[in-house]
Amino acid sequence: MNSGTETRVVQAVRAGRPMADKPVADIALLLEGTYPYVRGGVSAWVHQIISGLPEISFAVIFIGGDQKMYGPAQYQFPSNVTHVETHYLLRPAKSSKASARKGNRRAFSEMAELHAHIRQSAQLSGEEIISAFSRLGSAEGVSEEDFLYSEASWDYITHQYRERCTEPSFVDYFWAIRAMHAPLFILADIAAKLPPVKAVHAISTGYAGLLGAMIRLQRGIPFVLTEHGIYTKERKIDLAQATWIHDHSDDVCNTLHDEMGYIRGLWIKFYEQIGRMAYAQASPIVSLYEGNRLRQIADGAAPEKTRVITNGINLQRYQAALEKRPDGIPPILGLIGRVVPIKDIKTFIRTMRMLVNERTDAQGWIVGPEDEAPSYVNECKELVASLGLKDHVKFLGFQNVAEILPQLGLMVLTSISEALPLVVLEAFASGVPCLATDVGSCRELIEGNSEGDRALGAAGSVVFIADPEGAAKAALELLNNAMRWRAAQRAGLERVKRYYDDKLMFSSYRELYVQALRDAPGGIPGGAPQPSASPASLTIQE
Amino acid sequence: MAGIGSEIKKILERDSYWSVLRAYGYAGLVSGGPWVLSILSIMMIGILAVVLGVAQREVNAFQICVTYLMAGSLIWTGGMQLMFTRFVADQTYSNNQAEILPNLFGVLLVTMAGGSVWAAPFIFWSFAEPFIQQLLLLTNFIVLSGLWIALIFLSGMKAYRRIVFTLIRGYSLGIAVALVASPWALNGLLLGVLIGHGYLLFSFLHHIVREYPGHSLLKFDFLRNRRNFYILFAVGTLYYLAVWVDKFIFWFVPYTSEAVIGPLRASIIYDLPIFLAYLFILPGMAVFLVTMEADFAEQHERFYRAVREGDTLMHIEYRRDQMVYAARQGIYEIFKVQGLTVALCLLWGRELLHVVGISPLYIHLFYIDVVAVSVQVLLMAILNVLFYLDARREVLIITAFFFITNLIFTFATLHLGAETFGYGFAASVTLSAFLSLFILSQKFNRLEYETFMLQN
Repeated sequence: MNSGTETRVVQAVRAGRPMADKPVADIALLLEGTYPYVRGGVSAWVHQIISGLPEISFAVIFIGGDQKMYGPAQYQFPSNVTHVETHYLLRPAKSSKASARKGNRRAFSEMAELHAHIRQSAQLSGEEIISAFSRLGSAEGVSEEDFLYSEASWDYITHQYRERCTEPSFVDYFWAIRAMHAPLFILADIAAKLPPVKAVHAISTGYAGLLGAMIRLQRGIPFVLTEHGIYTKERKIDLAQATWIHDHSDDVCNTLHDEMGYIRGLWIKFYEQIGRMAYAQASPIVSLYEGNRLRQIADGAAPEKTRVITNGINLQRYQAALEKRPDGIPPILGLIGRVVPIKDIKTFIRTMRMLVNERTDAQGWIVGPEDEAPSYVNECKELVASLGLKDHVKFLGFQNVAEILPQLGLMVLTSISEALPLVVLEAFASGVPCLATDVGSCRELIEGNSEGDRALGAAGSVVFIADPEGAAKAALELLNNAMRWRAAQRAGLERVKRYYDDKLMFSSYRELYVQALRDAPGGIPGGAPQPSASPASLTIQE
Repeated sequence: MAGIGSEIKKILERDSYWSVLRAYGYAGLVSGGPWVLSILSIMMIGILAVVLGVAQREVNAFQICVTYLMAGSLIWTGGMQLMFTRFVADQTYSNNQAEILPNLFGVLLVTMAGGSVWAAPFIFWSFAEPFIQQLLLLTNFIVLSGLWIALIFLSGMKAYRRIVFTLIRGYSLGIAVALVASPWALNGLLLGVLIGHGYLLFSFLHHIVREYPGHSLLKFDFLRNRRNFYILFAVGTLYYLAVWVDKFIFWFVPYTSEAVIGPLRASIIYDLPIFLAYLFILPGMAVFLVTMEADFAEQHERFYRAVREGDTLMHIEYRRDQMVYAARQGIYEIFKVQGLTVALCLLWGRELLHVVGISPLYIHLFYIDVVAVSVQVLLMAILNVLFYLDARREVLIITAFFFITNLIFTFATLHLGAETFGYGFAASVTLSAFLSLFILSQKFNRLEYETFMLQN
């Protein structure tokens, strides 16, 4: 049944205590495609929270897509990680042969009602969701085998196709429906088998959020949701670019509403719906900045449950970087981030072309891992070559940020989507002004949010997305005008110290967890395992 | 495997009675050829040998020997034939043409060498005949085993005219050698058949080697897929066992049979009518090749293309209906043409028996045998459709049913008396045909469901 799942309890101190009656951790972190297997902003944040709250014990529940996509764990677990589970939603094909079966027709007609309800009102009551979840994978409901192999399932899928699908390809529709629903059975399985914890904390909506909602409904324990990006929005961007979905919008079958194919639309509705389910069950719903909070409300989160907890960084750590800075303003622009399309590295490269035209000593460093989108990396490198920037733009790969920052004159982000990028805070703390596109919280970070914040002045410049000319102009102004540059440096240092110290973030989350654990049936934080006893044994070997 | 069927269909498109006749003539010779031509040539050798002065006893022994050789080699290679047909189809589909030739030699080695491993001791122990005769029996068996494997490629080939001429040349050669060597009596006749079949085996191998590429000599990959292996092997073996079991019963039940040569026995009352009847499957076989291997194969391909290449569900269903229509048409056509054949046999049966020199006492057995073999063509056509749909388990059930009912019913007729002889086989094959029709209809009704939901 559970071939793609491995469960490991990484606790050395628990010998002799039965699993079932005592919680294995205070908080189960539900992580989709991030920590501990993938490096990046969210993973760094998760590691920071776990390390910063040593009095709370954590279970790390990782949900990945395809097992092949993930290498070894990228982080050493702090000693307060007391339980680790790794699950994959794309299971290898079952070894057992598909066998014909009738399927439970009543369960499928109940499912039809549920789908009809979702289509009409888009909002489900708690009981409806509970009954839907309890039917998932159960004998009285729709078992995974029934979904995959039964005649009832076939009749339901073909009926839906005839009624609704406006796209020609049945085989595409069929596999989309399978791919969409198969993970639900795995999630139901994870939810059922998760050992007791006092509360769950999902670090995104999507499948992690849905899992949180399932656990919340089944166990009645608190469910906290933090969103860094907005999952549903990111999925929409992914889906809009996805080449694995074929749109049949050729000249032959042009219809009035063909700006998006039916199957693409189906996926988006699916993610919207599971996002809503998570919002309905989670409390509080945390976002990183005001813009995202409003977006969550627009997507269906109840305003009174939403709140903002911004990211923070460890200022001491960047003190050294600040002290290492040379006196002048190095004409070096650094883009710190993964080399992927969402970061729009190509705009950075074009910006460098414009800038080098004006200042021949300018350098552009692209600092970040290059293994995620190899073809995009190639395109970027070819662009560098074709623009004649070989001497001016370097790909440095993954580097220690604290060593790079002192060498930069300007930190640049050309992303088309961001949440609250930690690198901007790190740059501020190291005395580097920032040039960023007007996405996510970048404007708040650079120009300030509250009145007192704004009074500190601009810590750099905000430019439009995909505007190399504007970005080059803004960069030139900062690099060539030492007065403005110094003012920006000062504003950045002051802003990060006043509003983005990680102590603020830790205390907010500590308070939030304490609140959640007080509501939990279990009790006080740290009540279950005693983590600090043997920290050395808590690393995971992959 | 639709090569030859579609080539022959091109003649039909010329749209004249002469072209229709020619097309079905070729189709009949190609599909029923080896089977019917062997019977025909053996009968001819028999008749001509008697004319040339070979003792009737020797001629009878010769005919019985060849019959046993055929039965034995067909049963021995039946499983391998099916398995290897499937292997060739798979390799062709996945564009691994170069794998086919080395594996063909692998299959030939397994069937011919493997066959001789058990056939040699059997022949040398149980026959008291001279060594040279034992050797002729053994080599005939080995060559026939190889020939059945090589014939798999026949329907996949396009050069039907060359195949037809090869068949004619082979059997003419066999007859000629047999007649020239008739002074050596049984040995001479066996030598003729051996040379005829040997010529066929090597010329077909020659065609195959010319048509398929190959980089290595010998491979045994066809044995690799275990699950396919067992089911297909069982189906092939069971089918030929089912076809022959009633004959074996009549040969070895004392009061319907007599000893002829070595351990071989024959049943004069049973054998002649049934082998004569088998000559009349030719029209059905011809129709089979044109309708099933060409029309149905084409519709089948279109259906799966519609599934794979993202057609609408409605169009997939339309393609399914077209495929069902093609299968139904094929079955009707075979039914019609064999029905007509049966009617003609009923009309002229007596005259026919008279001409061939068989006692009119056998006429009722001949009638029922013609009906039975006609239904057998239908059954074969339906099994073929089921093979296209990859319904291996269903085909196994049908062939097992065919075998068991033929066994039981034939024993039953032995108890019921001489006037029921032949009805056991007829009833068995008819019930099997009905069963297979029922299963086929079930299969078609659930085709999309099974194609989508149960594929892996």
